[in-house]
Amino acid sequence: MKAWFLRSFKKGIVTSSFPSGKNESLSPWATTPAGDISGEVNCPVDAIHNDKVDSGKCISCGICFPQFKPSLQIPQITTTRVEKSLSKSMKLYIFDSGTCGACNLEIMALNSPQYDMNRLGLSFTNTPRQADAIMVTGVLTDGMIDPLKAAIDSMASPKIVFAVGACAISGGIMGKSISEIVGLDVQVPGCPPDPFVIMAAIEKARGRI
Amino acid sequence: MITPARIVFEEDGKIFALRRYSEDLEDFSGDLLKKRVVDLKPSEKLSLFPYGPSAGGFTESIYFSILTSGEKIEAMNYDTSLKDRKISLSGKDILKALLITERINGIHSASYSSLFCDLMERSSGIEISQEIMDLRTLMMEMERISHHLFVAGRLSGGASQNIASMNIYLLREELLRITGQTFGHRYFFGINKPGGIGRDIDLSNIYEKLESIVTEYEEIYRTLMDSRIFIDRTDSTAIIRDEMAAGPVLRGFGKNMDGRLQHRYYNNLNVRISTGDSGDSLARYVVRSEEIFSSWEIVKKILDRNTRFNMVEEAKIDKIQGTGEKISGYMETPSGDLSMILSVRSGKINFFKYSSPSLWNLRVFADAMKGNNFADFYFGLESLGLCVSETGDIR
Ligand code: SF4
Repeated sequence: MKAWFLRSFKKGIVTSSFPSGKNESLSPWATTPAGDISGEVNCPVDAIHNDKVDSGKCISCGICFPQFKPSLQIPQITTTRVEKSLSKSMKLYIFDSGTCGACNLEIMALNSPQYDMNRLGLSFTNTPRQADAIMVTGVLTDGMIDPLKAAIDSMASPKIVFAVGACAISGGIMGKSISEIVGLDVQVPGCPPDPFVIMAAIEKARGRI
Repeated sequence: MITPARIVFEEDGKIFALRRYSEDLEDFSGDLLKKRVVDLKPSEKLSLFPYGPSAGGFTESIYFSILTSGEKIEAMNYDTSLKDRKISLSGKDILKALLITERINGIHSASYSSLFCDLMERSSGIEISQEIMDLRTLMMEMERISHHLFVAGRLSGGASQNIASMNIYLLREELLRITGQTFGHRYFFGINKPGGIGRDIDLSNIYEKLESIVTEYEEIYRTLMDSRIFIDRTDSTAIIRDEMAAGPVLRGFGKNMDGRLQHRYYNNLNVRISTGDSGDSLARYVVRSEEIFSSWEIVKKILDRNTRFNMVEEAKIDKIQGTGEKISGYMETPSGDLSMILSVRSGKINFFKYSSPSLWNLRVFADAMKGNNFADFYFGLESLGLCVSETGDIR
């Protein structure tokens, strides 16, 4: 036990003050690319139109480089509703509708000491019954349609549906968007989104930023 | 030594197989690989316990049916098809196929894309430099460290070692941040290209940071191995001794087998393999931890000889047209051996099959859980380092 305490003291405070302070890191290609289309750019998901990148479609592949470069800014997060009643406490339920695994792990990373989601009144739950928000990751797969509908139905109101990552928002390069069967309250872009982007989206959805 | 067939398929009335750690397709006289079928009949004393696909705290969606008396597991079945993305590469151009392959298992994308690119290059006689091989190897070893840290965090958290678990997650996050800053992406997406790499990589700043992560993990590992609670929870749980297993699960019961031992990317890197005896969750944890240290030894050797990698423009994908001939190979991912067969014709994929380590580890786990205490299910599962995404069926 003593060893753990000593370790923690030695390590000091590692937790970010984000969102009141600045995010300490941001994975470059998890930010929306910016540039101009003067050269030939073949975006594999057709995310570039008139020099603008649709962040909900972008799969962070970097093929548009060097004409486009990561903007290094937290991407635009589309929110169609804000639930201030959840600003003190919010339970998150992760729902994998068809991922490569990366989005799930980036949401789970919020639990690590650098983010320490509990300081913001956030926690994970393993059942939709206790959840205030469902974080849907991945493309829509046939086998997960009924479980997804059932999970959302079983949540108490108010409830927020997050589409986390390009696959959930637009289908990415792998398939169909979950928007085919559920309304998206919050869209968190990235392939996968950086944990700071996920955190910013959560805070925006409950009116804290 | 004859290793098990990983991919078996029929074509023109003949059966072909690709064996574990093999690059050669061979004529096969056995049967096609069959789906595991287990009859789960509830009775007065045994009930069927459904678990999943989403609720219950799994990392990814998966469904288990567990036949149990309440205490012991009598038999078990699983279904990974619910989140099957029905991935199809046939007819796709090479770039799209690469991007999809990277996302078959996003957290092992360096391994998947390295193997895909390797097959593409071999199919078209494209030679890559030692530097590019080194970069791929380095990314795969960093991916291994990251994955093993994640599994260690889950396993120690499950064993109520929450401080240890948080300390391990902290290190993993540090590693992901370094990866993001150095490679532009926390999971190595977008770097590998057939014939080269898609952006410049500068590794001159990562040595000390990686070293400190591994050194800190070593302290945590030694402290955990002194914890009676952790040892008691993982010792003798979910014992697996099935040669069909892959990666750390296979090495956990003493098999000195690892695809890296014979893969040309690892020539002259003296890969140190660790094995356990008991085949239980604890042995798999020890193997993974030792692999973190041996992966760091490999990374160090590579960093000693290279620190800068320039975008290789010759990575021209249009050079790869293909003749339709099948080409096959393997890579040792953090979860074990990945095998792949593909062919290209007129610049498009016209055949693609793969066999993932999670497919085999899940199968042997389900067999091995018979007779285990119900409460040990979680430790067994977490100790596998399973990636459900890679168990999907490629069409
Ligand atoms: S990173 Fe890839 S998906 Fe995103 S805009 Fe550039 S080319 Fe398109």
